[in-house]
Amino acid sequence: MEMSGEVRIDATVDEVWAALNDAEILKACIPGCQELEKVSDTEMTAKVVLKIGPVKAKFGGEVTLENLNPPNSYSIVGEGKGGIAGFAKGGADVSLEQDGDETVLKYEAKAQVGGKIAQLGSRLIDSTSKKLANQFFDNFRNALTEEPEQVG
Amino acid sequence: MTEISMVVNGKSVKADVADNTLLVDYIRESLRLTGTHVGCDTSQCGACVVHVDGKAVKSCTMLAASAQGSDVTTIEGLANGDLHPMQAAFKENHGLQCGFCTPGMIMSATDMVARYNASGKELTEEAIRDELEGNICRCTGYHNIVKAIADGASKMTNA
Amino acid sequence: MSEGIGASVRRKEDKRFITGKGKYTDDIRQENQAYAAFVRSPHAHAVVKSIDASEAEAMEGVVAVLNGHQLTEDGIGNIIAGWAITSKDGSGMNMGAWSALCTEKVRYVGDTIAIVIADTQEIARNAADAVMVDFDILPAEVNPEATLADGAPQIHDNAPNNQIYDWELGDEAATDAGLASAAHVTEMEIINNRLSPNPMEPRAAIAIFDEAEDHYTLYTTSQNPHVARLLLSAFYQVAPEHKLRVVAPDVGGGFGSKIYVYPEEIACLWASMKTNRSVKWTSTRSEAFLTDAHGRDHVTRAKMGFDANGKIVGFKVDTIANIGAYMSLFSSVTPTYLYATLLSGQYDMPAIHGNVRAVYTNTAPVDAYRGAGRPEATYLVERMMDTAALEMGVDPAELRRKNFIQSFPYQTQVIMNYDSGDFPGCMDKAQAAADVAGFAARKAESASRGKLRGIGYSSFIEACGIAPSAAVGSLGCGVGLWESAEVRVNPVGTIEILTGSHSHGQSHETTFAQLVNDRFGIPIDNVQIVHGDTDKVQFGMGTYGSRSGPVGMNAIVKALDKVEAKVKKIAAHVLEASEDDIVIEAGEVKIAGTDKKMAWHEVGLAAYTAHNLPEGMEPGLKEGAFFDPINFSFPSATLICEVEVDPDTGVTDILQFTTADDFGVIINPMVVEGQVHGGIAQGIGQAMLENVVYDDSGQLLTGSYMDYAMPRADDLPSFTIEHNNVPSPSNPLGLKGCGEAGAIGAPPAVINAICNAIGNNNLSMPATPSKVWAALQEVSTQQAAE
Repeated sequence: MEMSGEVRIDATVDEVWAALNDAEILKACIPGCQELEKVSDTEMTAKVVLKIGPVKAKFGGEVTLENLNPPNSYSIVGEGKGGIAGFAKGGADVSLEQDGDETVLKYEAKAQVGGKIAQLGSRLIDSTSKKLANQFFDNFRNALTEEPEQVG
Repeated sequence: MTEISMVVNGKSVKADVADNTLLVDYIRESLRLTGTHVGCDTSQCGACVVHVDGKAVKSCTMLAASAQGSDVTTIEGLANGDLHPMQAAFKENHGLQCGFCTPGMIMSATDMVARYNASGKELTEEAIRDELEGNICRCTGYHNIVKAIADGASKMTNA
Repeated sequence: MSEGIGASVRRKEDKRFITGKGKYTDDIRQENQAYAAFVRSPHAHAVVKSIDASEAEAMEGVVAVLNGHQLTEDGIGNIIAGWAITSKDGSGMNMGAWSALCTEKVRYVGDTIAIVIADTQEIARNAADAVMVDFDILPAEVNPEATLADGAPQIHDNAPNNQIYDWELGDEAATDAGLASAAHVTEMEIINNRLSPNPMEPRAAIAIFDEAEDHYTLYTTSQNPHVARLLLSAFYQVAPEHKLRVVAPDVGGGFGSKIYVYPEEIACLWASMKTNRSVKWTSTRSEAFLTDAHGRDHVTRAKMGFDANGKIVGFKVDTIANIGAYMSLFSSVTPTYLYATLLSGQYDMPAIHGNVRAVYTNTAPVDAYRGAGRPEATYLVERMMDTAALEMGVDPAELRRKNFIQSFPYQTQVIMNYDSGDFPGCMDKAQAAADVAGFAARKAESASRGKLRGIGYSSFIEACGIAPSAAVGSLGCGVGLWESAEVRVNPVGTIEILTGSHSHGQSHETTFAQLVNDRFGIPIDNVQIVHGDTDKVQFGMGTYGSRSGPVGMNAIVKALDKVEAKVKKIAAHVLEASEDDIVIEAGEVKIAGTDKKMAWHEVGLAAYTAHNLPEGMEPGLKEGAFFDPINFSFPSATLICEVEVDPDTGVTDILQFTTADDFGVIINPMVVEGQVHGGIAQGIGQAMLENVVYDDSGQLLTGSYMDYAMPRADDLPSFTIEHNNVPSPSNPLGLKGCGEAGAIGAPPAVINAICNAIGNNNLSMPATPSKVWAALQEVSTQQAAE
């Protein structure tokens, strides 16, 4: 599964970059995230509850930040295990660009799921992923700005 | 745990069941009525069809607790006497081979006939095939099941 | 009403099934029963670095978590393939080890890693979820062609390039010469899609260990409990044969997938001893999709040459067969001796060469599924015939007629010696029943509604009742393929037939009893068929390959012969007549032409009281027999499919499906036609709906009935079945077998019909609406360009 998109956020690049590295903000924004802890500057552990189609599972996993180029871009790579429900792994290249008062966040993401979640939910993964991504960025924008705005 | 009571095949039953117990598991494991079968885990195959308050229900999609106070009929309780006309029609028309999907087929078939009779619609071959969307058989190619249901329908109507 | 051979007797077994009183494995409950769940690999290819069961073991209600290291320590053997295939360079199979529980590596999604035993099914499943396995993920390969390439992931160390064997049959030089001489050569690449068998009853097992007796019992969903016992004892070393009883009670369909002993049954049996508990496991449908042996999955390139008169002069075939991650029991023979031996089809072919490479991929094991090799051969031959007819501008039925074998016995170029048949007769009957003469008018009528109508043929022959044992042994088979039977006449004259065949939908309890009625005139209600229990029945080979009729029933006939001989001796003695004058009719044993007689039960009583038996005769009336046929049997048919395609949507409706079959002698037409209906439905399923799909990383994408399209009632038409039976000369009853015919013959008839309708021969199975629509767009693009 691959997807890409861009989001406009009413904040400076530095503010957005700081938020992207803030475990508390990420935890609040990632749909279903129950725990997110920073182990080091580039490593985090997470617990996320995901529901894809008929399968609901708690994924425990590690997240690492790579190709750090503050405050302009990084890659975020993660792998989660959901026990008998299977696994999910993936990553996203994220870049930030100032455009007037706003920051344009662009992302290109790849994800792969396996096990029961792939067997029973494969048809739904694309749409679910897009929905989750949209939820994340809505939350993320809301966390940075009081008033959400329309995004193209 | 939830305390439930219902009528199954004309007998009152009472039990304490876990909240997540499916009706099919209650029927098979607690009541030991093993004619109701489990053929899939996504509610497609129809081997578990029973009647709840006179309507066909896939008992794998209903919690036992949701059937509280209901009147449940399984394949074991269908016949009023030796064989229900639909059961007899399945035998007469060779509408079964391995027999695993058969209880669900017969329960869906009797429900289908009752609905069509109630609405005055004609149960054509095409209608039977459409109505069987939720019941999978791997043995018969449905040819004789369709014949059996048409035959059973006329026997039920004339009974 | 007659209950003998040829009567459509209603089934004795039906009452328990229609009243919900069948006894399938999951319906059985034992005292002290625990439940099993399996820890399975979510990865298609990975090294198992460690297994941490501590959290699972600590859960309340968990009895044990057992892994492959413990299994190996206990000396449990690896799973075997039952037929050794020799490559054309003389080398043996590159067979990788398959342990019931993996120790070092997992090779497909669903591979078994550990078994969890717990007090309830829910606890077992939750505990399996809690077992943490640390994997080192390896690259995976699911494509049967790509897996042969250098640099592809190595799935088993001892199979370089993932090739198990490279085998050939026939004369390559003669075939090349034939093709070189041809006036026309048709070339095709054909993919035979991967299928999931899907009997409606999922697999299940209950293993019972009796510590005091050191004895095991296994209730399981098996098509051949005797062979299962042999494998579990002699090869897997779970229990000695005399200390193991295997029972296959009511079994809800098999279609090949329940021939094999799978890891789960081995693990449950072993775990019952380890935990001293009865262990029950019932597969979920999700597990069934992952782990029940799949079927088909061939990639084939073929050339068929014709002379200027349209006679076949050579047929050359190169096939890659996807075996999956491990070699299942019949996986080696299915794409070789059950496939290439049928490449001659119904046609007189002077030269044939078939080459087959079997390969490992990171997918579920592939093995015999209804038809096993013969559907793949039939689809290839019959698609080639229609394509050749199209290319040469001749009528596909006429091209077939021109090449039909006309006289028997006929020795093909690929081992088989066809003993009988009437191929033109089947074609005649099918064409008449399908009203082929009226097709043009029907096509015009469809066109007037904007619809595209097409007609497609399939003329197939198959080989059933694999035999004789000495011949299959010389080709590499590990067992004999005879069948056993025992006829027990009770003192009151009722009869029990004990058979090594197994009924899981085939109606043996009725049709086998009809044999007795036909012979002695005893009502079938007085005959009981006993099967599926190794404690009751002596060794037998089970039911697959349409063998219960041509092999199993003939074993019963042999035993009935012996009973009849003894009955006549007893009656001759009691009635003071010559044995030769005794006749048995309508349940009476008479002196021909007189009114002197004994009732059937009087003979039974005489045999057991033994007060007045011929000098030297043993008391009792019980005879056994083994039947080993002298040849395969060869059912054949022509099938005609007529479809209508909606060009706007690509949706295809099957309007008529007609078949004219030669099954030899038929015991019960109602039952035989039922078998044909079911077979055709599975064949149509393969042609239009069903397809197992893995993604590139080896994840199964068609893992439930939401994504794997099973034929539903509204996908199918009613079928027209004609009979054109020529008794088999190779067995006493003249039977040919009918269980697989429809699944073998139907797919090419459907695809040929759709191709005919849409005017594009480039179409693969399953012909889904989107594929048919795309093929139609190809045609209109071509037409626009012209």
